[in-house]
Amino acid sequence: MNDHPQRELAPLAALGALDGESLAEWNAHVATCEPCRRDLAAYESVAGSIGTAADPRPVPAELRRRVLSSLGAPAERSRASRAPWALAAAASIAAVALAGGLVWALLAREDARREGQRAEREARALQERLAREQSALAALVAAADTRTTVLAGLPAAPGARGRVVWNPAQRRAVLVATGLPPAAEGKAYEIWVIAGAAPVPAGLFQVDARGEAMVEMPWVDEAARPGTFAVTLEPEQGVPAPTGPMVLAGAVS
Amino acid sequence: MPDSEPGILVARLARGETAALGEFFDRCAGLAYGLALRILRDPTEAEDVVQEVFVQVWRQASRYDPGRGSPEAWVCTIARTRALDQLRRRAARREEPAGPDQPSSARPAASEEALAVRKALDGLSGDQRRALELAYYEGLTQSEIARRLGEPLGTIKTRIRSAMMRLRETLAPAQA
Repeated sequence: MNDHPQRELAPLAALGALDGESLAEWNAHVATCEPCRRDLAAYESVAGSIGTAADPRPVPAELRRRVLSSLGAPAERSRASRAPWALAAAASIAAVALAGGLVWALLAREDARREGQRAEREARALQERLAREQSALAALVAAADTRTTVLAGLPAAPGARGRVVWNPAQRRAVLVATGLPPAAEGKAYEIWVIAGAAPVPAGLFQVDARGEAMVEMPWVDEAARPGTFAVTLEPEQGVPAPTGPMVLAGAVS
Repeated sequence: MPDSEPGILVARLARGETAALGEFFDRCAGLAYGLALRILRDPTEAEDVVQEVFVQVWRQASRYDPGRGSPEAWVCTIARTRALDQLRRRAARREEPAGPDQPSSARPAASEEALAVRKALDGLSGDQRRALELAYYEGLTQSEIARRLGEPLGTIKTRIRSAMMRLRETLAPAQA
């Protein structure tokens, strides 16, 4: 067997950790040495594996959308990856799955009040669309005594926005949210109504591939005179009191 | 679901199936993002790395060699390379490194490979592990690590070599 002092350098080469004379020596040697090239490949496999032990982090929905659309790929999540949650959601809240445009319809209605006639016409058109597609929800949106509370994104989800559209006379409340990253496996977003005392749980939800959600909240008595609405990230079956990071919150004005 | 197995997904990508990209992204992007965050500690830069990774994945899927490692390892290698490139560009511009690691809200996933690697890393001595992590996560060379730790160059070379040999034995005993 040939003497192979350079073989010692293969593990370092695989990491890109060689420098100076070692690097020059390795580069010169490996060009003509098949066993060292094989050794390098084996250590490069090891190096490749090291990264797989890192902690994965939830990917923001907006990033997912951007990457897939830039490559011309469909952005909808496969049903397979969402099926287990879908069963849990059906059991916990009546989730109203509406097209993304309707999210903006609800947001636009409030803006219309402030932006005058053109916006009013747009809002009416959107309302008509809402009426066609979801007449029960449209009744909530159209009622004069329906209230809206704006929710702001907190440091745990700085890109998030939301509103709760609620009506004590109808005993209905709907949460609209955008800009939330998909909850990690085993987690869900939970809604809270705070009316002076402890926060009361008011529904669980997941966001769609666009990072948006519109959900009918189960009516809780506290929503008749709420002080604050909030959303936190919790275990997917929900918890009776908030434990996880808060992502959205807004005070009733 | 056989079509979703990572090796199959890469084969579908190599055939130009954009429909497989979403699934492959959902499998591996969290890992790429986590790795980029650990190296760069900056969410915006880490997001850019994820974008670059999947562009490269899409363009080079036909060059993936299963004999070299798992699809996840392939993605991690691309992510590490891109992230270290960005780290060096940032250093060259003399910017301050961004803030400390953000607390994770995700439960770490555990592929068999990840579990085996974590166990193997746990088997290293603290010195070996530290030297390896500086090389892997900060992209430092042997001389830079020696300077950083105040140790002789020969000591660092031995530590890293021992760490890698130990990992190789644990992860691929038939070939070591």
